[in-house]
This record gives sequence, structure tokens and C-alpha cells, in this order.
Amino acid sequence: MIEEPYRWLEAIANRREYIGERLKSGTPVFALSRPEGILLLGVGQGQSKVFEIYDRHAFGALGHPVDIEKIRQAAIEAAHLEGFARSARDVTLRRLISFSLSSTLKNAFEQVFAPPLIVEALFAELGDSPAQDSLVRVHYDGDHHYETSGVLAAHNEFQAEAEARDWIRSVLQPSDSLMHAAGICLVAWQALTGKTAFAGLTVPRKPVLQVPGKVVEAALLDRHAPGPVHYRALDLK
Amino acid sequence: MTGDFLALLEKGPVVPVSAVGAGPTALQATTVFAFHCAEGVLIAGDHRATAGNIIFSDRTEKILELDSHSLMAIAGVPATAFEMARTLQTAFEFYRRSQLQPMTLPAKLRALSKLLRDNLPATLQGVGAVAPIFAGVESRQPEAKPLIFFYDPLGAQFEAAAFAGSGSGSGAIKSVLHYLENWGHPRPVELPLAEAVVLANRLLMTAAEFDSATGGVRPEEQEFATLKLLSRQGARTITRQEQTRFWKDSRRD
Repeated sequence: MIEEPYRWLEAIANRREYIGERLKSGTPVFALSRPEGILLLGVGQGQSKVFEIYDRHAFGALGHPVDIEKIRQAAIEAAHLEGFARSARDVTLRRLISFSLSSTLKNAFEQVFAPPLIVEALFAELGDSPAQDSLVRVHYDGDHHYETSGVLAAHNEFQAEAEARDWIRSVLQPSDSLMHAAGICLVAWQALTGKTAFAGLTVPRKPVLQVPGKVVEAALLDRHAPGPVHYRALDLK
Repeated sequence: MTGDFLALLEKGPVVPVSAVGAGPTALQATTVFAFHCAEGVLIAGDHRATAGNIIFSDRTEKILELDSHSLMAIAGVPATAFEMARTLQTAFEFYRRSQLQPMTLPAKLRALSKLLRDNLPATLQGVGAVAPIFAGVESRQPEAKPLIFFYDPLGAQFEAAAFAGSGSGSGAIKSVLHYLENWGHPRPVELPLAEAVVLANRLLMTAAEFDSATGGVRPEEQEFATLKLLSRQGARTITRQEQTRFWKDSRRD
């Protein structure tokens, strides 16, 4: 099949369609760069969507739990080998994504005779200040981009994802508390999963931090943590 | 996906030293010890590293945090000991992150034992022996108390009931701690943190009096021992400011 370019292109197109279908049941995850650190938030049904990768690195994803786990393990292994061989400060998202994860995802996507990785992800790297934070959006085919606005979402519909990102950026103030920022993410989560428009969407004065029947999972890469490990789970109750 | 960081490292022992026959005089580091006090386990070390009769450094840090609930005190050859500590630090965090749960205390003890055993060739050649002390608390059990363990250079592990010491100056310290533990009023295990800190510094000064490989502790010049406290809540460093205050308070008594 791969000797015939048309059939290969058709196989790739079918693969995109298949992955898109499988991702439809996924729900979005968010990462916000804040003065306190980087806030990550996802909503699941018992399975985690937000994870610690290394001292200053975290990961959020939607997709097939097994594939999320594969990417998570690959990222953790690459980060720890790098940190052990060199130093913790040498573990950077730029190297992790460019030289390890992105090529893994691209290879998996283009091996048309093997099952693809069904995962849409975001990665976060904590800097000394919000301006030095790195947020990276990584797609199932290895394509990725760096987000410089301090607000990032990962979802299964890219247009809606961009609208959510723009809306969060427009309503989020630097002085907002972490809980308020989490509440904004949850409003965006409800809009994305309910497929409602962002135009005219308002944020309640008192943030709603629960979703009935689901588990809201939030974590902070804490900029002011005293030791080398900056990741901690946040209790939103 | 076992969470075993050592399995990730491609080539055999983590600390391979393959010297044959007599080599240069190895660097050594002494003295370290740990004892139970009222607030947990206090683990202490001097700052001196020696090579034969040469003082190589008086600013060596020998008490290392492996993770938030584990401490290691090193005695022996620093090159090997520091590499072991670095390996364990990475292995513990790798396990916690990849398996989404912390490693148990017995598994941590076993990991250190395995590294010591892998280091057997260097130990037998006399160029890489390490005899560490490990203090840990089981982070998954809310009622667990911090424990002290000591090792021989071949990897055998022993739990210390009240205290442990390692390094060339530890003989004097263990003698004093044994006396205080049996006939002291109060016993070291009953001492509040401030008094335990003063005792630890005095013990190192006593050891330095009889052992030239122990040094770098001069409280009158605000040069204190490296001290860390391990409690139910985790490990923390006793800062120089705290030690200065405790030392001054003890002089007023």
C-alpha cells in the first residue's frame, strides 16, 4: 500500500477520521500561567487527566487512557534520564517535546499498519516568573506549538478550543485568585462539553468548583514551593 | 512500566569502579550519626573530607535529602556515596511519579542495599567503600514514626533502636550516646529539638577532639554541623540561624 502515494494519503486521512471519532468523547483540559504558578485543570470520571512529569513539569491530556498512559510514561522516563545524566535544570520542554515525544507521536501516527495513539495533550513547564513559563500544545500526530499568552486548552475540536482560550484570556485578571481561575476554567469546560457559544458567557461571582457526577482534578506547579518538587494537587472543595 | 529507574539505566551497576590493585589514596568523609529525639530523628554530620592525612575539604555536606521523607548520611568515599544518593533521589521520584504512589520504606531500604551490593568490587578493592545511615518514615501510614537504619559496606541493613553512627569519629559519639541513652537524665530520645541540636554539635566537637578526620564544626565561629530533622511531616534542615539561637540559649543556661 505504501508504494502507492494515493493509497497512503487515503490511509492517513482515514486515520485522522478514526482518531477524531475516538476523541469525541474526551473532555478538555486547561493550563493557566499565574503569579502563583501554573494551574492545570481537568474533569474526569475517576481516571486522572492531570499528571506530574518532573520537578517543574506537568501534563494534561484527553483521549484513550492507555495512550495517555503511554505518553505519560515516555515523558517521565525521558525527563528522569535527562535529569539524572545532566541536571534538573537541563530538563526542558523544548528538548523533551522536540527530541522525544513529538517524534514518538509522529511515528505512531504514520505507521498505518499499527494502532495510532489517541491523545490530545498539553505540557507545562514552570519558570521563575509567568513570563518564563512554557505551555505547549501537542497533537496526536506530533504537531505542536508553544503558547505564549499564558492560557492553553486542549480539546477535540480545535476551533472551539481556540475560542475557549480567547474567552478565558479575556475574562481572567492577573489579580484573580487560583480558585477563581479554576472556576473560569470550569465555565469554559461546561461551554465546550455542552457546545454552547462563548459570546455573552459570564463568570459567576462565586466560582462553581464542582461538576455533578464527575471528578474535578486540579494541580499547581507551585512557583514558591521550597524544595525541588513544585507539583502539588489542589483541593478545590 | 515497573517504575524501576535502575532498569532504565542501560549498563549494569550504577556506580562502576573498576580500579585494580593499589590506586591513589581515596577520599573519605566522616563523621555522621543519627538519634531519636522528642520531635523525630535528628541526623547530623561534620564537614570534613580527608585523603590520608590531608584535609581535602572542611565544607562537605554529608546529610542528603533523598526525598521529602528519606534522609541519607554518608560515610566513606564521597564520589561513590554522592552518586548513590543521586541515583536514589532519581529512583524514588521516578517511582512516585510513574506509579502514582510513593515507594514504601522497605523498598527504599532495599534500593540502598542493592546499590551497596553492586558496589562490592570497589569496596573489596578498598577504593569505594561506603557505610551510610538511612532515616526514613513511611509516608503512606499516618501513624508511622521515623526510623533509623545503618548499613555495612556490603549492603547488610540493620535498624537502630536509639541511635546509629558511621565513620572514623563515630566510636566516640556512639559511646556517649550509649551512656546518655542508658543513664542520662533526660535521655536523648526525650530531648526537645533545641537541646538535641546542641547535643549533636557537642558530640561532633567531642569526636573531632580524638579523630583528625572529623572537623568543620566550630559553633563559636557560627560553623555548625549539618543537621536535618525527620518527623512525621517529613524532612527539614535545621538552619544556621536556628542552630546559632539554640547554641546561644544553651550558653545562658
